[in-house]
Amino acid sequence: MSGPGVLAAPGGRRALGETRHLLLTVAPGVLWLLIFLVLPGIYLMGVAFMTNGPYGQPQMPLTLDAFERLAGYGILGWSPANLYTLLRSLAQTLIATLLVVAISYPLAYHISTAKARWRPVMLLALVVPSWTNQVIRTFGWMNLLAPGTPLAGLAESLNLIPSNMGLYPSNIAVTLGLVYNFLPFMVLPLYAAFEKLDISQVEAAQDLYASPLRTFRHAVFPQTLPGLLAGVVLVAIPAFGMYVVSELLGGGKHMLLGNLVARQFGGGANWPLGAAGAILMLLATFAGLYVMRRLGRRLGGGDEVVI
Amino acid sequence: MTRHGLHRGLRVFWWLTLLFLYLPLAVVVLYSFNASNSAAHFTGVSLRWYYRLMGNEALLAALGNSLLLAVVSSLIALLLGSLVGYGMFHHRWRRLGWLVVLIYLPLVLPDIVFGIAEMAFFVQVERLTGWLSPGLGTMVIAHVSFQIPFVALIVYSRLVGLDPSLFEAAKDLYASPWQRARHFLVPTLRPALISGAFLSFTLSLDDFVISFFTAGPESATLPIYIWGAIRKGVSPEINAIATLMIAAVVLVAVASLLLGRQRAGRG
Repeated sequence: MSGPGVLAAPGGRRALGETRHLLLTVAPGVLWLLIFLVLPGIYLMGVAFMTNGPYGQPQMPLTLDAFERLAGYGILGWSPANLYTLLRSLAQTLIATLLVVAISYPLAYHISTAKARWRPVMLLALVVPSWTNQVIRTFGWMNLLAPGTPLAGLAESLNLIPSNMGLYPSNIAVTLGLVYNFLPFMVLPLYAAFEKLDISQVEAAQDLYASPLRTFRHAVFPQTLPGLLAGVVLVAIPAFGMYVVSELLGGGKHMLLGNLVARQFGGGANWPLGAAGAILMLLATFAGLYVMRRLGRRLGGGDEVVI
Repeated sequence: MTRHGLHRGLRVFWWLTLLFLYLPLAVVVLYSFNASNSAAHFTGVSLRWYYRLMGNEALLAALGNSLLLAVVSSLIALLLGSLVGYGMFHHRWRRLGWLVVLIYLPLVLPDIVFGIAEMAFFVQVERLTGWLSPGLGTMVIAHVSFQIPFVALIVYSRLVGLDPSLFEAAKDLYASPWQRARHFLVPTLRPALISGAFLSFTLSLDDFVISFFTAGPESATLPIYIWGAIRKGVSPEINAIATLMIAAVVLVAVASLLLGRQRAGRG
């Protein structure tokens, strides 16, 4: 690092040289991101306010049609389909995140109490499936849930599904896929929190004959909260924007916002509608990040939240 | 519940979770050796789907595209990203909040929004200028855009972790900035540069959504090819290629574990 005033040239020239240095190092990457990421993003937002052309291309004049369509108002009057898709996305995100949290707490605790030499192996065992391609993982679930498989047969014999039907496409299959995909993203930060956990607090609670629930609530939960919040950010935000899992395991009747958006850029295209959906998704993402940040700050330990 | 009972319960839960995590992959591997082409019945062990892979030109082309895309994009991202990371570090006392926001943007953006923004932009640019028609070129552009932040942040955090006096020493030893870069910065940053490039490479290989929306008719990558095959109707060949990809991941995982053990043993 160039300390202030060490062998410095006269002030003005030095500041100029520093600015040049900043530009030379940062500018190429920044320009790349501005042209190929920020500009497309701005263009997409603009598209949301344009009129849908006859072939799905956006055209002038500017209008709020796309947002009205997104809210369900079409040529044939109001339809709840888009609203259902939005609610389904929210519900799936919420349910999947809660399930992931419920599964991850015991797992993270279990790993943190294992012998030190086994912990890296256990963490790796949890993470390896998520290193495989998402399409392949989801395809694996399609194989497991297809008609005629043992799982589908079991569901059939319990009269949960009609005969000769698979367990997908369905909402449950989508939830399953989401939990499967995001489990490691919750276990890892929670495990990091458990590793730092001050066990004396837990022992003190147990010595005072606190019930396991109370011990968890007063001694474990507050200490693992930063990890939990980081995990929620890592799970809920990508879950809300999911495309692959809901496309393969859900299909048209069970689609999420991501699928609704993507569809508008494919066959029966309506770019402005898709762009409006994308804006909604972005707003939800930023709102989620903001809330988690505030929560993290208020509850303490906010610095450890990844964002 | 006794403490002993709790631990036994946790152990059972742990193994059930592993079953949950590996069952879908195991099914893919199992069916890749299935003699019959029915997905519901396993009739005997056979390598016929693997033999079929070797003659599948579309698949081999997709593999080639995947590798080419990953190599080219991660090299560009390595150059641009490490410069950004170094700049962020060197000027960290300045007000660079805007730069941090810009760097984090690709990380928090949902894939699907990222992908369609790129696609819409490329289509519009092509309509206006004739450039940027969808293909490997547009895919490289999109991939570099999500790789830059990872390289920049890895390089930045390595620099922050260094002893500040090292920089003073390098300043005394080498007169010109170029000498400093060559003899001090690059060697010191080598682990960060390697892991940045490796991460970029694997992120590119693994990406489906962003590739899917920026690809042209001739530039399908392996995940896009598999996606298409799944949508067209399940062909047992997918199980074979998927098994090879799973095997590659497991190999990397075992290697990283062994390397970690070795390093820990030395240290």
